[in-house]
Amino acid sequence: MRNIRNFCIIAHIDHGKSTLADRMLELTGVIHTTSNEQVLDSMDLERERGITIKAKAVRMPYKARDGQEYILNLIDTPGHVDFNYEVSRSLKACEGAILLVDASQGVEAQTIANAYLAVDAGLEIIPVINKIDLPGAMIDECRFQLEEMLGIPGEDALLVSGKEGTGVPDLLEAVISRIPSPPDRSDEPLACLIFDSYYDSYQGVVPHIRLFSGSVRAGDRIMLKSNKKTFDVNDVGYFTPQMTRAEVLKSGDVGYLQATIKEVGTVRVGDTIISAAHPETAAVPGFRHSQPMVFCGIYPVNTNDYGKLTIALEKFQLNDSSIVYEKETSAALGHGYRLGFLGMLHMEIALERLKREFGQELIATMPSVVYKVVNTKGEALMIDNPSKFPDPVYIDHIEEPIIRARIIVPTDYVGPCMELSESKRGKLVSMEHPDGRRAMLTYDFPLAEIITGYYDKLKSVSRGYASMDYELAGYRTGNLVKVDVLVKGNQVDALSYISDRDNAVSKARILVHKLRKVIPRQQFEIPIQAAIGGKVIAREDIVPIRKDVLAKCYGGDITRKRKLLEKQKEGKKKMKMVGAVEVPQEAFLLLLKMEDET
Amino acid sequence: MRGLYVHIPFCVRKCAYCDFYSLPGRTELIGSYVQAVLSESTKYADLSFQTLYLGGGTPSLLGGRNLRTLVNGLRRSFSLSELVESTIEVNPESATAELLETAWDVGFNRVSIGVQSLSDGELKSVGRVHDAAQAIEAVTLALRLDFEVSVDIIIGLPGQNWQTLENSLETLTKLGVQHLSMYCLALEHGTPLALNPPDSLPSDDLQAELFELASSFLGREGFGHYEISNFARKGHECLHNLNYWRCGEYLGLGTAAASHLGGKRFKNRADLHAYLNNPIGQVEEVEELDAKEKAAEEAMLRLRLLSEGLDAGGLAERFGRENAAVVIGRLNGMAEKGLLVSDGSSYRLPPSRVLTSNPIFARVLLG
Repeated sequence: MRNIRNFCIIAHIDHGKSTLADRMLELTGVIHTTSNEQVLDSMDLERERGITIKAKAVRMPYKARDGQEYILNLIDTPGHVDFNYEVSRSLKACEGAILLVDASQGVEAQTIANAYLAVDAGLEIIPVINKIDLPGAMIDECRFQLEEMLGIPGEDALLVSGKEGTGVPDLLEAVISRIPSPPDRSDEPLACLIFDSYYDSYQGVVPHIRLFSGSVRAGDRIMLKSNKKTFDVNDVGYFTPQMTRAEVLKSGDVGYLQATIKEVGTVRVGDTIISAAHPETAAVPGFRHSQPMVFCGIYPVNTNDYGKLTIALEKFQLNDSSIVYEKETSAALGHGYRLGFLGMLHMEIALERLKREFGQELIATMPSVVYKVVNTKGEALMIDNPSKFPDPVYIDHIEEPIIRARIIVPTDYVGPCMELSESKRGKLVSMEHPDGRRAMLTYDFPLAEIITGYYDKLKSVSRGYASMDYELAGYRTGNLVKVDVLVKGNQVDALSYISDRDNAVSKARILVHKLRKVIPRQQFEIPIQAAIGGKVIAREDIVPIRKDVLAKCYGGDITRKRKLLEKQKEGKKKMKMVGAVEVPQEAFLLLLKMEDET
Repeated sequence: MRGLYVHIPFCVRKCAYCDFYSLPGRTELIGSYVQAVLSESTKYADLSFQTLYLGGGTPSLLGGRNLRTLVNGLRRSFSLSELVESTIEVNPESATAELLETAWDVGFNRVSIGVQSLSDGELKSVGRVHDAAQAIEAVTLALRLDFEVSVDIIIGLPGQNWQTLENSLETLTKLGVQHLSMYCLALEHGTPLALNPPDSLPSDDLQAELFELASSFLGREGFGHYEISNFARKGHECLHNLNYWRCGEYLGLGTAAASHLGGKRFKNRADLHAYLNNPIGQVEEVEELDAKEKAAEEAMLRLRLLSEGLDAGGLAERFGRENAAVVIGRLNGMAEKGLLVSDGSSYRLPPSRVLTSNPIFARVLLG
């Protein structure tokens, strides 16, 4: 038995996970000073948005009150509803989880979702009530909620203030006493799970690994279980949190491995690394694969950058294996990719990161879900791009993905939440009252309604108090139509969208109106139309521009005049040509923005 | 044909829309500035010119004595005996009888008066120094002295409407001006007007409408629309400016002045003090285009001349058939779409495209 504890912290967003992690790192001497910047959230974007996106691991040496030395491996997990998949793969590397509940907020929707994931993964759960220093802390109520909503004995909960450090030493002791040590299977052949990875231009792909059996050191020959590719290990080590070289990693350890894996597509998170000498070793079981729910097209603004985009995506997927992509060609936008994401936040963050980290200017199209289109021959086609829909005469019916959402909301806001949910085609499944203050609503929604700003609106109608989590709940036949958009008679495939029939006309009118506002006036009249099949359901016209002229002579400064014209032309290059019409990039995301406002 | 331009960078105060290089209130430097211009002129000694244009800023701020010194000095440096047109820009408040008489006396035969509008409200809204009465007085005076008179008019001043504009145009044409330059007001980056645009600023659409109404009005009054911003009675077109659009040579003296000589375009730095210290060392931004680019530039410039237009044969002659072919291809493409009018060998910008000519010119230049 080795003195190792592998654990993670799971919580609803903003319940103080990163602050608690920092306090643990300080107590174990891994970091010395307290700054506002949280150590585990190393990406700029995470700090800006205050959420943890990528899981990472830190090794903390700890001398317990029993006098023994322990190694604590803290594996960080993201805290947003979109990132269940990343949570689940972090859980797989652990034996235990700290379930954190904000004493002033109580158990929220993601607390429940994450707790279920941890139970499913067979982890030992340590319930912790955090932020007990806050004046609004409701400790007894939190204990009650843990029992009522999760079946976890309330008296087992530890009381902690991550901010002030209260209770953290006891928590570290609880990690030692309650979470089991990983079983020692050092004598068996190597089997380790890849739970994360990153790409470095010198070292190639660096997998982050959890060893379940055997050991690995520099010089070993390893094999990737899924594709049988073999590599020589150059180096192994831990995160302290910097990468620190070690002589050997053994069963139960968490660390990294370098083997000059240059080809980006080779390593998949969730794969198992085994010893090349024992190709029969079984893969680590039970790994949950990501299921993209939201899709959108991305296109380089400059069509010459397509090659660069391809390379950027390959590298990006290595760092975020939950993204899927395939080639796509749009008549309006040229060559690009169709990307699949776990949810809307995931999409926003991923696109932002692609732009920032890879220096790419991108046009992203309106997000879509995957529809099941059953044609008149009875064949079911899974279609993630409205422009790929067959002609309506060949469609028997369309099914759309449904999610089951769990919404926890103070009783005062139940009315507005239900009103909002019904406007989004939600069907109430059940309403419970887990405590006197709050209601737990279970709704079935078409996923398409949720991806366009529902969560933000839920927050706003509940003054920020509602929390939500969801899971896919199958497909249901919907009364759906495909709406096409025509700009000066040319259909713009990237603007096609699927709408429920009842709202199709009003939605089309708003979109057409917005398009009229963002497309600049040009030298000719531009009709903007929305149509179902061949039937126009909305139309507005952009009148021709009347004035675009450089008059002044500047005492014969012709060069200046010429440069002004060149600059103007340069600005137009950022637009996409649809037939003869220059369409600005923002037009392709209008539908999304429109949803935010209505 | 070669023109001489002298830039006078002084103003009483800066107008709210102005982004030309001029400095308000530094009139004490005028004497030394004239001397600096004359020093610079020696660098290009013995060139001959057919037109002279004193622009600004406000050249009428020079006063009679400095004006005489300047012109006499230029006559010593250059051969000015062939001058057929000499223009001085004046502002109504400084276009005194004394100044205009001196101007006539030293050889100017044309004045361009910065009238801009004959509505006191509009003038005030952009910080013009003069009022309508002063403008009328200056025009009357110049005409009485037998100058060819051109006036500047701004389309799109705050509060402007067709009634006020028509009134300005009617008064000016009745007085007998032979030439009008009409510019649409542009909000140039960094100017007070751009930073703080008043609510009464006409929209682009209204500007376009006003410009079109004004253009028809002037047509009825016998003025030809010979260049995008310029209208003249027959035979009164501005030769100096025509030379710009015909891609002719010109020398610009003074700070911030631009030149086109020997196939090169160059420009003096816009820095009065640097100019005073070293008038012959201010050239920057020397540019010499290759033959293809030159052909495109000339095409772009000549298309501004609405009735004269561009002759394809002339272009091929000057730049070589092959070099002209690229731009002629572009012109033919646009002619097919109705953006230009062509008879197969010459091209013109149709009057209906004047106000939306930028994209056309951009395509002439860049394809």
